[in-house]
Amino acid sequence: MSGFSRVGDSRTMTAIIEINDLRKSYRSNAALDGVSLRVEQGEIFGIAGPNGAGKTTLVECASGLRRPDGGTLRVLGLDPEGDRRRLLQRIGAQLQEAALPDAVKVGEALRMYAALYDRPSDWRALMDEWGLADRKSVRFANLSGGWKQRLFIALALVGNPELVFLDELTTGLDPAARRTTWGLIRDIRRRGVTVVLVTHFMDEAEALCDRLAVIDRGHVVAEGTPVELIAKTGADSLENAYLTLTERTEAA
Amino acid sequence: MKGICNVVAVELRLTVRDPMSAFFALAFPLIMLWVKLRGGNKPLPGGTPLVDATVPMLTVFVVGLATLVVLPATLAQYRERRVLKRLRVTPASPAMLFGAQWAAHTLLAVLGSALLILVGLVGYGLSGPASLPGVLLAWLLGALSLGSIGFLLGAVIPTGRAATVVGLGVFFPMVFLSGAMIPRESLSGSMRAIGDLTPMAPAVQAVRDGWTGGGVSPLTLGVMVAISIVAGGVALRTFRW
Repeated sequence: MSGFSRVGDSRTMTAIIEINDLRKSYRSNAALDGVSLRVEQGEIFGIAGPNGAGKTTLVECASGLRRPDGGTLRVLGLDPEGDRRRLLQRIGAQLQEAALPDAVKVGEALRMYAALYDRPSDWRALMDEWGLADRKSVRFANLSGGWKQRLFIALALVGNPELVFLDELTTGLDPAARRTTWGLIRDIRRRGVTVVLVTHFMDEAEALCDRLAVIDRGHVVAEGTPVELIAKTGADSLENAYLTLTERTEAA
Repeated sequence: MKGICNVVAVELRLTVRDPMSAFFALAFPLIMLWVKLRGGNKPLPGGTPLVDATVPMLTVFVVGLATLVVLPATLAQYRERRVLKRLRVTPASPAMLFGAQWAAHTLLAVLGSALLILVGLVGYGLSGPASLPGVLLAWLLGALSLGSIGFLLGAVIPTGRAATVVGLGVFFPMVFLSGAMIPRESLSGSMRAIGDLTPMAPAVQAVRDGWTGGGVSPLTLGVMVAISIVAGGVALRTFRW
């Protein structure tokens, strides 16, 4: 995988996200219990973990949607809470289950989202590049799952971001559409945009991620390249490495 | 500015594309006009010809429907369907969202009102407005004050269906009592007294005064400004994505 060859140089790159000892609780439940990680420029960084592990909370804190209870957090050199407006100009995101109005057409959605940013991409060019031009006048409700995801990715890019968050982008897609979406995510990296990919599919993490963090019960239980995680656990695949990692914390 | 115009343009298209809101804002008021004037254009108590009361009051009916029923339903449906959740991770602010929604729904009401006035002029011998600036100012402030209340409803109600129920529950008593559906002259004194307490009453009063030459009272306009500031301010504070 491309991830392996990228490890060496990624260490010397600038940090896009720096998280230290991040804590967030809902009532008495600790969703994040001291999470630390670093995402480098230009990589696809995976966040994996079982349901309820704290993945979504982590992404929501990093995009300024939630206020952490403790720890430090810098995204693109900004404090997501205090500099939220400036940060939102520079990131793109597709969060879980987010949607568009049924009646909006593909072209209209891109045009409208472009209008929300100070320095947007040319939405018509983006529409062409992502193969959406033929579907310009199709309503959101009439798009298949794969085309919806393609539109979501284009919308995440329309503000010309330096960093994009994609939360469970391929959940519910058929295998062919998932593979196509993987190609699209690699295309994002090719543009020099850093990608944070939340997933619970290990084949996806193995195929796409330069590095990933496995999170369970609010802790980072392992962080590294897919190859490193496999080596660390002595497993024969990332899927088994992941199962070992998340099992161990469950038994503890 | 170009940005918000793009957003308004798309939102307006979405509003017109929805057959229900298009029907209620464009066709339904015309049907009401026809029903009201079936018996002929008789003068009301006080001498105003029926059509000169009916068209101005129905323009308030239209803007009330667009801003108190359709606007909150749109916003709440956006919340229910997680459209707002997606918008939340863009630079869009609640104030901008409100501005765009208000402009789109007010433009819908402008279309409905223009249609009413046109049919009134051509088909029913409607007199022109005594003070066009007065009517425009009164109508716009009506749109703003009712829109702020609509935004307040849409700021917190979780689903589109609930917002429609609440919106209609607020709208219908208001139009009945404030003289937007039945001319104020035909209401009993007690009904009018209750109606005057509703935020739609100053809009009806001011638009009709501007139309028939009674002169728009600054106090009435001031009440609408106050409603806009208070309801809009509370809405922005309570707004949930």
